[in-house]
Amino acid sequence: MDGNYNNYNSFGGGGGGGFMPGEASSPAGGKTNDRDNKTLRPVTVKQVLDASQPFPEAPFQIDGADVANVLFMGQVRNISSQSTNVTYKIDDGTGEIEVKKWVDSNTADNMDTDDGKAPGDGKTELVLNGYARVFGSIKSFGNKRYIGAHSVRPLSDINELHTHLLEATAVHLFFTRGPPGAAPAGGNAASGGADAVMGGADDYSSGQSKALASMSLVAKKIYSLLKTEPQDDTGLHMQVIASKLNIPATEVARAGEELLSAGVIFSTMDEQTWAILEY
Amino acid sequence: MSLQTPRILPSHLHAFHPSGASSNTVRILGTVTALHGATGTLTCGNNGDVTLILKSDARLQVGKLVEVVGKVADLEGGQGYGIRVLGSTEWGDPADCDYKIYEHVVNATHKFKSIFYD
Repeated sequence: MDGNYNNYNSFGGGGGGGFMPGEASSPAGGKTNDRDNKTLRPVTVKQVLDASQPFPEAPFQIDGADVANVLFMGQVRNISSQSTNVTYKIDDGTGEIEVKKWVDSNTADNMDTDDGKAPGDGKTELVLNGYARVFGSIKSFGNKRYIGAHSVRPLSDINELHTHLLEATAVHLFFTRGPPGAAPAGGNAASGGADAVMGGADDYSSGQSKALASMSLVAKKIYSLLKTEPQDDTGLHMQVIASKLNIPATEVARAGEELLSAGVIFSTMDEQTWAILEY
Repeated sequence: MSLQTPRILPSHLHAFHPSGASSNTVRILGTVTALHGATGTLTCGNNGDVTLILKSDARLQVGKLVEVVGKVADLEGGQGYGIRVLGSTEWGDPADCDYKIYEHVVNATHKFKSIFYD
């Protein structure tokens, strides 16, 4: 809320009541950021319990990154059905946490939806000591932390449980060490696609790897080509890059701009000849 | 604080023995290959066997994949370490589980301990 108020002030001088671009999102107040951040992060229960909150009502943070929604899997240790919600105690071997699933009376008797079950239904689906996958957001009430669940479903494939734990590790490493470069085996196992892109060029210095992480696929390809292709001091011409990578010259030019503006490559003979900026 | 149950392989048993470790409750995954009344054998992929010390009401079945939560204990007659079973979850056919993934999980959970265990 404070943020928006200040925003208003800074526009206020010249504004005189017009519709400001900055105000477009203001009706939602402090929740705007929350709504925009729709990421679903795989975590362990211990990470939820360890999550920090910079100030009351602020979004929770894990590894310094805001978390909107979390996903975890664990065994159901207790089920308690109330008229408005079902509370589960979930244990994933790293800790225990309460999960509240509100009962939506509108969907309770709708057979087509598999979430929003009535308390009775939930019980037949999820069994005590069986595994569940939970997806929801971190809440706190007093000093107690719990999960406001969007969905609590039974888990039947053990591989899903194991890959989840590896994913949680991979995401944790992403936030603490940066994107996968020469990532350790544990982190690599689960991060699939992203690795394939970075795979060919995992030996660049960490500063550049951070800059590259947010770039387009083409930019990453150009970088790794410049890194590996034999060349003299003047680097490679844009046309050469385009033909070697089999990518249209216009795309190469656009991606080249990205790399140039980030300062990871520089132009040599002319504007279209680039080499890697080593530092 | 809640109870933590580290996932392990047979070769890690010694690290959770009551004499040394602060916590000796562990989680282990394997196939039940033999049952002899009060004890059973859990085969953990290519990582060897563990002797399970069963409760009287244990309902394990030979040939099923199970995840066991239990305490590391000495076996009678000094035959090394075993696990006193506190609870078990049946996961069905061992062929449906890629044990390699579990091995990676065990490695990852111990290598990046901060997000899994205290």
